[in-house]
Amino acid sequence: MKNTLLIICTFICALSLNSAVSRAALETKIVTSEKHGITAWLIEDHSMPLIAMKFGFRNAGSAQDTPETQGLARIMSNTMDEGAGDLDSKAFQQALDDQSITLSFGVSRDTFSGTLKTLTRTKNEAFNLLHMALTTPRFDQEPLTRMIEANKSRIKNAMTKPNWIGARLLNEAAFQGHPYALNSGGTLSTLDTITPEMLRAYHKKALAQDNLIIGVTGDITEEELTSILDQIFGALPKQNDLSEIPDLTLQNSGETWLFPLDIPQTTIHIAQQGPSIHDPDFHYAEIMNFVLGSSGFGSRLTESIREERGLTYGIYTLFNHYDHISLLRASTSTKNESAQEVLSLIQQEWQGMLSTPISEGELTDAKNYLIGELPLTLTSTDKIAEMLLYLQENNLSVNYLTQREHIIKNATLQDIERTTQKWLSQPHFLTVLVGKPDNIQPNKEIHDLPNVE
Amino acid sequence: MPTPSLRPLLIAASALILIFAAGFAGLYSIMQDSSAPTPAENNPLSKRTKTFNAQSYTLANGLQVIVIPNHRAPVVTHMMWYKVGAADEPHGQSGIAHFLEHLMFKGSQDMPPGEFSKTIRSLGGQDNAFTSQDYTAYYQSVAAEHLSTVMHMEAGRMRGLNPPEDHVLSERDVILEERRQRIDNSPTARFNEHLRAATFINHPYGTPIIGWFHEMEALTWDMAKAFYDKHYGPNNAILIVTGDITGPEVLDLAQEHYGDLSPITVPQRTRAQIPPLHGQVSLSEITPDIQQGQISLMFRAPSYTQNKNMSLALDLIQEIMSGGASSRLYQSLVVKQKYATAISLSYNGTALNDALISVNAYPAQGITPDTLKNAILGELSSLATDGITDQELQTAKQKAQDAAIFARDSLMGPALIIGQAMTTGATLDSVEYWAHDIAQVTKEDILQAAALYLNPSAETTHMTFGAIMPPSINKNASAASQNEGEPQ
Repeated sequence: MKNTLLIICTFICALSLNSAVSRAALETKIVTSEKHGITAWLIEDHSMPLIAMKFGFRNAGSAQDTPETQGLARIMSNTMDEGAGDLDSKAFQQALDDQSITLSFGVSRDTFSGTLKTLTRTKNEAFNLLHMALTTPRFDQEPLTRMIEANKSRIKNAMTKPNWIGARLLNEAAFQGHPYALNSGGTLSTLDTITPEMLRAYHKKALAQDNLIIGVTGDITEEELTSILDQIFGALPKQNDLSEIPDLTLQNSGETWLFPLDIPQTTIHIAQQGPSIHDPDFHYAEIMNFVLGSSGFGSRLTESIREERGLTYGIYTLFNHYDHISLLRASTSTKNESAQEVLSLIQQEWQGMLSTPISEGELTDAKNYLIGELPLTLTSTDKIAEMLLYLQENNLSVNYLTQREHIIKNATLQDIERTTQKWLSQPHFLTVLVGKPDNIQPNKEIHDLPNVE
Repeated sequence: MPTPSLRPLLIAASALILIFAAGFAGLYSIMQDSSAPTPAENNPLSKRTKTFNAQSYTLANGLQVIVIPNHRAPVVTHMMWYKVGAADEPHGQSGIAHFLEHLMFKGSQDMPPGEFSKTIRSLGGQDNAFTSQDYTAYYQSVAAEHLSTVMHMEAGRMRGLNPPEDHVLSERDVILEERRQRIDNSPTARFNEHLRAATFINHPYGTPIIGWFHEMEALTWDMAKAFYDKHYGPNNAILIVTGDITGPEVLDLAQEHYGDLSPITVPQRTRAQIPPLHGQVSLSEITPDIQQGQISLMFRAPSYTQNKNMSLALDLIQEIMSGGASSRLYQSLVVKQKYATAISLSYNGTALNDALISVNAYPAQGITPDTLKNAILGELSSLATDGITDQELQTAKQKAQDAAIFARDSLMGPALIIGQAMTTGATLDSVEYWAHDIAQVTKEDILQAAALYLNPSAETTHMTFGAIMPPSINKNASAASQNEGEPQ
């Protein structure tokens, strides 16, 4: 959950552009390998002697876990860099460390992904280590047990973090009955049942050429990339054998769930259904969200709750896009005595978006920010590669950022009002609270966090 | 790779705090990338090349101006660093430096409360600020054509801060909420705060940057104003601009916007001395509020400013002991002995006074804090007695050189490294030539640094130890220690 949030948050802050970004979009080349027809998006940049490659396998994320195998995809991401071919765990890590090569794997609910970062000097070694990790991972028992123990420590440590508890409970409630509701990081008991055979089986069916997407940036030419794509990814199976995951709608909307915890401050997580990134009005919804809460300073929620009343250190809204549902979320925290007040202020600002529609000034500021901010975030090789991967992950075109700039520039107050009517007029929040809030009557009190033990 | 990382916990609790909740993760990752500082291109270990090629100027009123050109995107980051931090606070007013940082967004002569950040956003830019023990910095990232506007705004609040009373009071509530969120909601953060206080006894580094709750509640505008008048002025600040612009262009703009500000009388940064530690200083807490135990060993050690040679050796020790999954501590304690499920050693040499080496670890199931502590001390003492191999030294140096190349792959990273160094007593050249200097470190230097600062039996080592554990682990403690900590 945390990883997913981080990526999505980065992107929401990042989704905007100016002429520099349009140039970058034009410079994106779609490269296809000769033998296996593997494609990658590439932006060449020879100003620094380094290369970043981000890749993902669609639909191979932790939504493929079952209740009994929670954490399987995560553990595979932790163990794929723990030995491959004739290199055991230590030899493999040593080869990476000694050459300053970063290779790691990660998993969201939808995608199994990886990142490779290397100096130009060590690129051949880096590509070879990646090839080995992807195609001949060892999944030895020793590193597997070590990763299971590390994850159990992580979970036990997180069990006292209100933010983590809130996010866990929100997933459980929002996605009830769907694989998204499971604990992607595994539970203390399911982790112990994961074996090397399970990892090998999942590896075989999840990582294939037909669900592979790749973004590359840095000191590498089109010709070179064309030839190494076959070399790195060519030995993967042609087709994956993953289960289809169904779409869903938000569950338990209108309810308030409380996890009682004896701490001075209540953590608040709120979710409602949100627009998909493919919704024709999505970019108007971005403007709406900017004014409501995504901008931090200047947003209506921050003005009302932090600036005027000093009730919180931070309140933010963001869109959470999964393959099978999109959410609009808000999160904040406040001392237990003011939890009730903050909840009603949030309701009030939601309504206020309709009763006091956004002004010309708010619209202009939002446009300037949403268009101007992207080049600020695309200032490192990794971040550019990450953007290339993000676009593919969401089935967006190479020209997406240019089209988006055009739509935002031409947005009218009517566009925003129509979008606001659609998304904010009937707030059926799912609310999750962690703490000891005064004067709150929850629909449910949860004492044992599901899918943790 | 190991999943749990202990460092963010401590950083969040003590090292650096930002005004906005968002952005912290981003900044931290930049700082982490750059934590092994800065060498030169293509690793000529002996060639004396600069890493960032920054340009340096000084205005007549004493404002230092550093420019780091970077033309990859048409954007700039503008940072104003003040040579004042939480460690410069008057006794009993803990948190005033950070409170002032928040109030800097609450209005000045020609800027109503809250308008600063809103204006930056309407320009398509981002801004934030952070407070540390030795420095306070404010930054904005914008398209290069807006640099003049940003400078005008920053100059306006350098000498003319003027927040309305009701905003001062509501902002004090905000920092109290910030403290609850960062510290009071977290048993381990509260514990680390106390361990730090014991490590830096009688020194302001032992006081939390955000402040103690009871003192924060009593902070006033008068206190903030006095602190501001005493420390905020052009000759106690460093302007750093990085991005798509040249040195002469920045200098002209800086002259126009900051040139007329009057200098202040810069106060001496005198700090209380830390007395020698006697006995074994250790702090322990057993609480049902946590499920995963955690131990910390903290060692005071020389900062770069205090002892350059030893500081460089400690940079390499960090790399050798904790530079990745193949490094010594992880291999010994997590892979082989299985006493811990996660471990890290970090040293940050940028401090005006003593720097800190901290080792943090999660004990494995059934392993007592003492067993793990003794195993860690064993690794540290073998470093001091047996030293390191030529190969280890060469690899660590190479990795330091490589880290510098990666550090340049960012807009704000180089500005952060330079700003931290220059507000803690180091020079621009010390950053530019770090790559050259680190290549001169010898095996003997490493041996000496380990023997002096990581060796509890030496008088020159100042160690504190903390363990916060859940009750169930404690129940098994006696059985486990009879076992000499065999993994179960």
